[in-house]
Amino acid sequence: MKRHTRSAAALAAVGIGAMLLSGCSGGASHDEDTLVLWHYENADSAMGIAWNKAIDIFEEETGAKVQFEEKSFEQIRSTASQVLNSDEAPDILEYNKGNATAGLLSSQGLLTNLDEQVKKYGWDEKLAPSLQTTARYNEDGIMGSGSWYGVPNYGEYVEVYYNKDMFADAGLEVPTTLDEFESVMQAFVDEGITPLSEAAAEYPLGQLWYQLALTKADRDWVDAYQLYTDDVDFEGPEISYATETIADWTDKGFISPDSTGLKAEDAGVAFISGDYPIFFSGSWWYNRFNTEMDADWGTFLFPGAEMSPGSAGNMWSVPEKAQNKDLAYKFIDITMRPEIQAIIGNNGGVPVAANEEDIDADSQELIANFNTLTERDGIAFYPDWPTATFYDELNAGLQELLNGTKSPAEVQKQLGEQYQAGVDDIVG
Amino acid sequence: MATELLTTGRRITKRPSGLNRKKTSDWVVLAVAIVLGFFIAVPFLMILVNSFKSPEDYATSGPLSLPTEFYTDGLTAFWERVNFPEKLWNSIYISGLVAVFAVVISMFNAFALGIGRVKGRSWIVVLILLANMLPQEVLLYPLYFMFKQVGLYDNQWAVIIIFTVIQSAFGTYLLASVYGTFPKGLLEAASLDGASRWRILWTVVFPISRPTLSVLLIFFFIWTWNEFLIPLTFLISNATQTVPVAITVLQGDRLMDVTTTSASALLGLIPTLIFFLIFQRTLTRGITAGAVK
Repeated sequence: MKRHTRSAAALAAVGIGAMLLSGCSGGASHDEDTLVLWHYENADSAMGIAWNKAIDIFEEETGAKVQFEEKSFEQIRSTASQVLNSDEAPDILEYNKGNATAGLLSSQGLLTNLDEQVKKYGWDEKLAPSLQTTARYNEDGIMGSGSWYGVPNYGEYVEVYYNKDMFADAGLEVPTTLDEFESVMQAFVDEGITPLSEAAAEYPLGQLWYQLALTKADRDWVDAYQLYTDDVDFEGPEISYATETIADWTDKGFISPDSTGLKAEDAGVAFISGDYPIFFSGSWWYNRFNTEMDADWGTFLFPGAEMSPGSAGNMWSVPEKAQNKDLAYKFIDITMRPEIQAIIGNNGGVPVAANEEDIDADSQELIANFNTLTERDGIAFYPDWPTATFYDELNAGLQELLNGTKSPAEVQKQLGEQYQAGVDDIVG
Repeated sequence: MATELLTTGRRITKRPSGLNRKKTSDWVVLAVAIVLGFFIAVPFLMILVNSFKSPEDYATSGPLSLPTEFYTDGLTAFWERVNFPEKLWNSIYISGLVAVFAVVISMFNAFALGIGRVKGRSWIVVLILLANMLPQEVLLYPLYFMFKQVGLYDNQWAVIIIFTVIQSAFGTYLLASVYGTFPKGLLEAASLDGASRWRILWTVVFPISRPTLSVLLIFFFIWTWNEFLIPLTFLISNATQTVPVAITVLQGDRLMDVTTTSASALLGLIPTLIFFLIFQRTLTRGITAGAVK
């Protein structure tokens, strides 16, 4: 019985204590000298550091205060449409580019049309044409044309990372053509090393597949694939080459069939620890390799291709319900300045509007490769962009290819049908 | 899982009073329980091991090896980055209130349905259970519009109200069937003595069903603690967020930081673990109490 009274008392205490302390929720409206800013970059990432600096400059120059809240990527991804439709909307936020995110919200009228500001501040002159693609959406929310709904502040692209120590041990040089690339990988296989660190459970193998298709493709093909300007022939030379080459490389031992179960993180970690000499993946790894990898490493663009997967990064958007839009525009403009862009570059990010001479030697290779790509109009976006479900479908198809359960012809036929079904849903 | 282990534990200790033979089957049960327990513990052990590893250590030696040094930067980084004490308090506040409210409401409902024998009560129970059975994704948009209308969007009370309803739905279902088998004699005796319904509830039904109620309280607390989707949607300001929502801050667009994520998982897990250990006794007693009646 004693215990009963005690637990009853504890219960009551919890209840009463909770009732007493009912402090909650921040007020919806804020004064006109405050910029409410949301982004989801880690404070010590390239963007985090640069934007912190931008906040300081902004507060100094305008006298306004910045109320910054660090959000999670997941939270913005899954709740943006609700938040932006309420009075809790921030004045400016980092938002995900793409038809399913910024495109959808712009078509719902939740994002501010930035056309006027773009002209006024000249942001379009700072951004290469292929970087503008993800910032502009038409009235159906499809990217590539129409009005501006966001301003990308950084870029990303996919390139080849290689372990210099392992290349030196094997007496190999950086390949400049696809044939040379294959003979480099063959040389590793001859020594009993699987050359490519791959992961088919997530994006890496899909990006390699797309890159292989790009070696045979031109800008028209990319526009057809990404922006639905034309039908895409999945049995055409581009995709046939990609699918067959993946199968071929698996047969030759360049890619381990075990990678069907691996995730991007596994592949990256395996490259860091020197299990594989080559890793084909995005610029988002650059900083991590810099800090975590013992071996000497370098990068090069995929040999024999004019284009590579990549895009402008996520972008600044201004909600339609934002209270202090003018402050938001000023803030965007500050982040586009060369000095802020240089901070992004010097911390392992890829700036979109930096002066190359401001960049440290450490990061120059990364920025130079990106600039090479943008100059030759080589940013080709990602294979999974066109439809909402193609990411999983592509991964599943390529896993079957690696397993040998399906032939290249079967896989690309299936992918073609899935792609078309998804596109039909969007285009109607 | 806890129940399983505890019941097996009890059976083994009871054995000596009965036959001392049958040793082999006991050992088999014990071995199976240990193996099962090990598999259940693996994720937790992984979290524990990786929480104290530096990112470099993780990158070079993988997730399974033991840390080479005792590295706590991940823990402190996460703690400071999300202002963990604040999140912890938010979680305790929300889960605590929900647990108390939901138990009280469940008891009232169950008293009416199980003892009061309202007409069409099985349909009422089914209706109430819908709140529990519908996937939360389905409820999300209607709830969003409702709470936005009444001005409780981005307010912890939205989450408290939602979960009080959802948890009490299950509580009503469970308690109504427990109360359905409540000894009639006791109730009749009480009403012969002239006790009102209110008095019967508080002086007869409540004390007898207290073990079951405390089990519900603990379950509601832990379930609400672990909820993710609805808190994520309704708690917009960082200052109002709960621990599971705060943990997602660490997952980026493309990269994940395994060691810091482990550290955050560890921090998020410890409070429920402590809570469970404190109330472990109540749990086992309550479950058997419920079963006997």
